Amino acid sequence: MSPTAPIVTEGLQRYFGSGDDLVKAVDGVDLEIKPGEVFGFLGPNGAGKSTTVRMLTTLLRPTGGAAFVAGYDIVAQANEVRRNIGVALQDAAIDPLMTGAELLQLQAVLYGLPRSQHQTKASELLERVGLTAAADRRVGTYSGGMRRRLDLALSLIHEPSVLFLDEPTTGLDPLSRMNLWEEIRRLNHDGTTVLLTTQYLEEADQLAERIAIIDHGVIVREGEPEALKTSVGCPTLFVSVERDEEDTATEVLGRFGDLRPSHEGTLGVGLLHGPGEVSNVVRQLDEAGVAVRNLELHEPSLDDVFAEATGYRLEGAAENPDGGDGSDEVDDK
Amino acid sequence: MSIDSTTRTTKSGSGHKPRSVAFTALWPSSVGLGMRNVRNIRRLPSAFLPSLLMPIIQAVAFSGTFFAVTQIPGFPTDRSINWYLPLGVILGCGFAGIGVGFTTVRDIESGFYDRLRMTPVPRLALITGPTLGALIRALVVTTTVFLVGLLIGARLTDGMLGLLMLYVASLGVATLGTFWGLALAYRFRDMRGAAIMQLTFFLALFLSDAQTPLSVMEGWLHGVARVNPFTNILRLGRQGFLGDVTWANTWGGLVAIAAICALTLWFAVASLNRLRD
Repeated sequence: MSPTAPIVTEGLQRYFGSGDDLVKAVDGVDLEIKPGEVFGFLGPNGAGKSTTVRMLTTLLRPTGGAAFVAGYDIVAQANEVRRNIGVALQDAAIDPLMTGAELLQLQAVLYGLPRSQHQTKASELLERVGLTAAADRRVGTYSGGMRRRLDLALSLIHEPSVLFLDEPTTGLDPLSRMNLWEEIRRLNHDGTTVLLTTQYLEEADQLAERIAIIDHGVIVREGEPEALKTSVGCPTLFVSVERDEEDTATEVLGRFGDLRPSHEGTLGVGLLHGPGEVSNVVRQLDEAGVAVRNLELHEPSLDDVFAEATGYRLEGAAENPDGGDGSDEVDDK
Repeated sequence: MSIDSTTRTTKSGSGHKPRSVAFTALWPSSVGLGMRNVRNIRRLPSAFLPSLLMPIIQAVAFSGTFFAVTQIPGFPTDRSINWYLPLGVILGCGFAGIGVGFTTVRDIESGFYDRLRMTPVPRLALITGPTLGALIRALVVTTTVFLVGLLIGARLTDGMLGLLMLYVASLGVATLGTFWGLALAYRFRDMRGAAIMQLTFFLALFLSDAQTPLSVMEGWLHGVARVNPFTNILRLGRQGFLGDVTWANTWGGLVAIAAICALTLWFAVASLNRLRD
């Protein structure tokens, strides 16, 4: 591993509790994120994403292993790490009693910017995220989308070389989400390395050059999205049938390939011999007396990669995230 | 979103190059954090008013209810308000200090404190910043209660030096109250800490000669009050209302403030470090 890479972890561990109550939240994570890369970090709730990010942003001490951010050890050189990172955490609140401009100026003070730059830097960032008109309003009056944009602006006050974005678009309306994507691309184009955690697989597909999927504290897949999709291989056929016919349908579908995780009320199968098998599937289901209510054929997607790696499908993962409701529930198959 | 950023390094030419910001000094970051604390007095007066009104009400109520305390042989003043006003001031300033602990618990629970912890300020600034805010609150409390006390009959017996001693004691108690409040906020990270802050402060203050002089106390309460450092702090703050300011009545309070501040600061720093665990 290159110690000069913006983010490097070596066997990173974080355990909570002890004895019978021991929880291995992160259990030996190895990552190397390259300079100028947008890296997607995916996983179901409780998989270890946030714990990993909290360690990398110096909020939490690792139990074992090592990690370097911007070339600095997250334990021994925590303050150097803090000087080089920007962080927009999903659960990092903003003081509702302060105005957007006051918060940015406080952030400028805390990052040691020269006094002469406080006002100009705050104004520049407020304009950049479209909050100039709301600059002197208390944050308590901001909408959720405005808070996320302010959160991003706060993380950029010192032009960090490494940016951590924890589910930055959750709860945003479609237009705000697209604008934020555009901003992330622009930051990345300017040379900022971005570690992005998200529950929207399409978001990772759109923005990330490489992704890692973490489950039960362990990295279960890592690579470029296209390569990961190719690794899944065959397309997935989703079939909806009556509940009392599911056993029969499962037996029939099993003749065409491996059954795959799917949403409730739907059965999924990876078609070993490709899309040409669809007609045979329908015919054999018909011969078995199974009435097909709905049929969908999906080319390999990150959703399939995620499902194959974790055994879960994220709720609404197949949908365009623009229409998502921010739910992060998962189906356990 | 209107975007007009200046390109620093294009992606095609990027390599990892830390763009380290300047060293963040203790003083400016402490002032920044302290001003946030002060600003919230105006924005959320309901969180500050109790620490201002309580000592006024207490000074007025105690001096009225216990006016007969001045009849005790050897009682050092003939004005009960002169005895109870410094107690009210110190109580209010203590609460101005531990009020910072309440605010910090709220910041920890909301997640705002994570944002502060991720900044490169010296860790000590996370303690000294709110302490500056508490000291400004304590100045407001001391001045207001003193002025109200003058209106209802309190009199300085050693001029401005006596008033200075009151400020030294009240600011000292605000400082140790802040350190104690922050330590418990970091340790418990929720409102359990707030309950302990109040309880322990009340106990420490009222198991001293807060209400009556040591000379009229008996039994275990006398023993506890005699060794309670808050007795010395009260003596420091009260002396300008009971007679002349003397070194004998001063040094014990200064030592008590310094010792408790050192202990509570150590506890706060250790507890802050444990937030990463």
